[in-house]
Amino acid sequence: MLKVENLHASVGDKEILRGINLEVKAGEVHAIMGPNGSGKSTLASVLAGNEKFTVTAGSVEYMGEDLMTLSIEERSRKGLFLGFQYPVEIPGVTMANFMKLAVNEHRKAKGLAPLTAAEYLRLMREKSAIVELDSKLTARSVNEGFSGGEKKKNEIFQMAMLDPKLAILDETDSGLDIDALRIVATGVTRLKREDNATVVITHYQRLLDYIVPDYVHVLYKGRIIYTGDKSLALKLEKEGYDWLINDYKEE
Amino acid sequence: MRRISFDTQPIGAAVVGTGRWTLSEATPSRVTIEAGAEVELIIENQPAKLQLTLERDARLRVVHVITEAGVHSSLGVNLRENAECRVAQVITAATESGVEVSLAGSGASFELGGVFLLSGDQRCGVRVDVRHDVSDCRSRTLYKGVASGSARGEFSGIVYVAPDAQRTDSEQLSRNITMADAHIATRPQLEIYADDVRCSHGATVGQLDDQAVLYMRQRGLSLEMAKRLQIEGFVSDVVLHAPIAECCETLVEILHEKLQSL
Ligand SMILES: Nc1ncnc2c1ncn2[C@@H]1O[C@H](COP(=O)(O)OP(=O)(O)OP(=O)(O)O)[C@@H](O)[C@H]1O
Ligand SMILES: [Mg+2]
Repeated sequence: MLKVENLHASVGDKEILRGINLEVKAGEVHAIMGPNGSGKSTLASVLAGNEKFTVTAGSVEYMGEDLMTLSIEERSRKGLFLGFQYPVEIPGVTMANFMKLAVNEHRKAKGLAPLTAAEYLRLMREKSAIVELDSKLTARSVNEGFSGGEKKKNEIFQMAMLDPKLAILDETDSGLDIDALRIVATGVTRLKREDNATVVITHYQRLLDYIVPDYVHVLYKGRIIYTGDKSLALKLEKEGYDWLINDYKEE
Repeated sequence: MRRISFDTQPIGAAVVGTGRWTLSEATPSRVTIEAGAEVELIIENQPAKLQLTLERDARLRVVHVITEAGVHSSLGVNLRENAECRVAQVITAATESGVEVSLAGSGASFELGGVFLLSGDQRCGVRVDVRHDVSDCRSRTLYKGVASGSARGEFSGIVYVAPDAQRTDSEQLSRNITMADAHIATRPQLEIYADDVRCSHGATVGQLDDQAVLYMRQRGLSLEMAKRLQIEGFVSDVVLHAPIAECCETLVEILHEKLQSL
């Protein structure tokens, strides 16, 4: 589904990604961990198509296509979803209205007719139940005045609405209380299928109790320096990153 | 609501009671709204030079729309004791518009929500003067401007508080978004001669929020859609709170249509 090879990306003349290799297949869950500032969000942004970053080398293949030739919105419509580490507020634009446009753009790209008002309401009701999202929130402006936890739930709600092939969730577990974490994580698990894949970026192993990863990668200074199974997350939680990154510190 | 109409005598003055009227060429230039009356006034692309007086406890709700170039207007509102006036103004064309308000009776209240949305090489100037001449009055002005292309917009607002106008409660806010080579100048002014007042004013000129555009595109909206939606959101509060509820939908449509040309 996704094949990243030797990906380098910079902002200005600062190189942030320095040779990423990553392959994600349908049905898999990957976790990406790593210390603050190691480039996790940057990787997610580059995959989503954020033009702030310049890809200087390497290639990314997504569903058999060269991902880097597609615009942000084309990537989205082809099923790539990014759950933002910091969801953005859009004053005056209701969640319901925003998602209606988004869902219909996705449908248009697939050659489908827009949903009728009734169909849309039904879809919204069904999907908001997955993350126990208060239905009042969909009548409010996008993320405006949402609590930290509500914002993260709202990301998963949008993911459910758009039914992506590849979801990259950037710290969707940060700032959640125990209940919200369970709800969000269960939501993600319920959206899991054989024909889609999930990449979760996280600092905490507790998320991985719910969303069991097939692979855990450690990103450090713009490279994936280690890949293991879910036991790696446990080890990192206990021992930190030092044992792994010592070799790289001098660079 | 009862329809108010006038003889085809545009000169002189008239007194009206409760009802709704749509401004036309036949409207006299000076209209007094009777004490306690409730009047709705709709002005659509009608050049106006209108002086309104609200007698005590009168209520006036105005929806003012300018979508055609060159339709200039000046609106004067004089409020007596406990009178209340609420205005929504939506401008999508090149025009000069002025609103002059005098709060001349204790307890009077004035509210204006305005939007101008300019594209191409349109020029638009909006002036709002609010005079607090007596004590215990309230005024609110929120004006939002959006300009794209090489359009030029200007907002100038003055709040004047007379020495005797104690306990004045006034807010004036001008918020603007510019795109491309467009430019908006905003000049909010406060002139306060009383000491026991609550007055605030503010003005901002900014750009579209790139992060929000990115966010919307990540969900599948095109760049153009994302920009338009953001602007629609930016101005939405003004139209959704328009004082004549039945006009809200039309105002939303006017803005929506204009946005397609940005
Ligand atoms: N626009 C930018 N301009 C300059 N530097 C940037 C920019 N965006 C990211 N960086 C830098 O790139 C590095 C990687 O940032 P990134 O946000 O990808 O880290 P992260 O692994 O997601 O960290 P965290 O765990 O704190 O979320 C950091 O040093 C950051 O300061
Ligand atoms: Mg990050």
